[in-house]
Amino acid sequence: MVLVLALGDLHVPHRAPDLPAKFKSMLVPGKIQHIICTGNLCIKEVHDYLKTLCPDLHITRGEYDEETRYPETKTLTIGQFKLGLCHGHQVIPWGDLDSLAMLQRQLDVDILVTGHTHQFTAYKHEGGVVINPGSATGAYSSITYDVNPSFVLMDIDGLRVVVYVYELIDGEVKVDKIDFKKTTTVNLVFL
Amino acid sequence: MVNKRVPDWLNSSLWSSTPLEDDERPSRQSTNTTTTISYSPTVEPTLDPPTPPAPPSPTRVEPEKPPETKDSPSNDSHSSDLSYNDISEEVDSSTVDISRQSQLLAEISKKVINIRDLRRISSQGIPDIPGIRSMVWKLLLGYLPPDRGLWSLELTKRRLQYKQFKEELLMNPSEITWRLDKTRSCDKDNSKSESRGLLSRSEITHGEHPLSLGKTSIWNQFFQDTEIIEQIDRDVKRTHPGMHFFSGDSQFAECNQEALKNILIIFAKLNPGIKYVQGMNEILAPLFYIFRNDPEEENAAFAEADTFFCFVELLSGFRDHFCQQLDNSVVGIRSTITKLSQLLKEHDEELWRHLEVTTKVNPQFYAFRWITLLLTQEFNFSDSLHIWDTLLSDPEGPQETLLRICCAMLILIRRRLLAGDFTSNLKLLQNYPPTNISHLLYVANTLRVRSIG
Repeated sequence: MVLVLALGDLHVPHRAPDLPAKFKSMLVPGKIQHIICTGNLCIKEVHDYLKTLCPDLHITRGEYDEETRYPETKTLTIGQFKLGLCHGHQVIPWGDLDSLAMLQRQLDVDILVTGHTHQFTAYKHEGGVVINPGSATGAYSSITYDVNPSFVLMDIDGLRVVVYVYELIDGEVKVDKIDFKKTTTVNLVFL
Repeated sequence: MVNKRVPDWLNSSLWSSTPLEDDERPSRQSTNTTTTISYSPTVEPTLDPPTPPAPPSPTRVEPEKPPETKDSPSNDSHSSDLSYNDISEEVDSSTVDISRQSQLLAEISKKVINIRDLRRISSQGIPDIPGIRSMVWKLLLGYLPPDRGLWSLELTKRRLQYKQFKEELLMNPSEITWRLDKTRSCDKDNSKSESRGLLSRSEITHGEHPLSLGKTSIWNQFFQDTEIIEQIDRDVKRTHPGMHFFSGDSQFAECNQEALKNILIIFAKLNPGIKYVQGMNEILAPLFYIFRNDPEEENAAFAEADTFFCFVELLSGFRDHFCQQLDNSVVGIRSTITKLSQLLKEHDEELWRHLEVTTKVNPQFYAFRWITLLLTQEFNFSDSLHIWDTLLSDPEGPQETLLRICCAMLILIRRRLLAGDFTSNLKLLQNYPPTNISHLLYVANTLRVRSIG
């Protein structure tokens, strides 16, 4: 039972001052094992804050990040799943499923987490699942001003992932979940 | 004379692949196949009196047992006090032991066991025959009913109950939510459905999500419990580090540790008032050791369940010692320590005065550990098993008996205490010297008689 927090596109301080208070009250240290961040934090203070929530922090570079040394893409393995991380501004058309699927195949991961569009989406295709956690602060994007703050918490338990989607709609936190299983693609060699 | 010998557990049959008798005498030191850290001298030429005849084989429950020709609890003591034992005393005690032993075996093979008689006989010590102690303790703690016919029914019921506890209480919230979902919606297999497209969102049940801060949220409770579980884990790993049963890298030790952890976690969850307190692991350890080493396979397999219930029963008399809020109350640990003081004053005023007034050794410094941990830390493992025999069986109740034994412990070393000052007395009491256990229990017994008069 591993809890992984996925968030990004905070754009602090340029487009938003901070995470919404209701989100901050829920995010307490000690519960989450990993944090993956799509990028555009943009400043070090946000990095430090995330570090206090969980020491295992993975970030990829967004186009406005002030820290230049974050990688463009990152892959990591958590339990039985391979996760890929990328900000998403590199993949054009922005938010296009086919192009993201291409990136996913290149990275060879089961779950790809990207951002940039500031809209939560969760797609499934033959190669795996693409999740966009949206913008955790509700900052405006290059595409639209109408953004609800959102982030994603994944509960990875064996071959099953439950994705909890936290959104702030009209001042209230709404939580939904998405359930999916990984079919065991057992190495055919052993069969 | 025997101080410098290699300890006998090093020579025990456990280390060889074929179990061999390390001496002609059937093992007096080990209860069963696993190690004990008893330092009893097995080959003692001076103590080789004419071996008394084997006891008449009574109708026992466990048929195949190496016949114990002799059970002298006195031999299980540390070597240094062996000088107390005369050879003649040995012979006498051995014949007494035989009769006591056969009495005990006869009692427990009856169809309906008289618990009062059982208590009376076992308060003088339970022989180290494999399986006997396990059964007697279960009877004394009320886990097994006196009527033998009801045993299998009762055992099945309890073991099932424990299994249910485990299922309910040891599941992590992921699994719980998964099971709830499965029962709610018939699990449609997403993997077979359309190969691409948006994943459908579904509602969460009861507002349950991992970051929930609600008091009734299973996630929130889970995170709060994590602290206790970590504490339990640390303590279990530190229990009896010298014994292979409890610690080390072997699969066996890890299973045992796992069982201890489960019991303590379930206890903590079922008793939110007291939860887990450091020291409970020490009280649990001997129980689990005895039950797990039961030669009867079924008993050994279900040792965890049996231990849980017996642990609850044993702790019920001593719970208040673990509750910090009750420390200063009438039932708390402080008042029990005061009772010990009173007892000492009654029986040996001179010693009491010297300890408390002259050298100002506050009984809390030594008696706290003696009382809360039921003397498991003061003696070696097999000695503490013998003490527990008396503790569990004495009709006066474990707490009264414990106090008497502690008082006897003080009286036995009175000469050294009277001659010592604060530092040396404290040091002595916190590292109680090895002693002849049956002598100790005998003295404790006499204290009872005198206090009535």
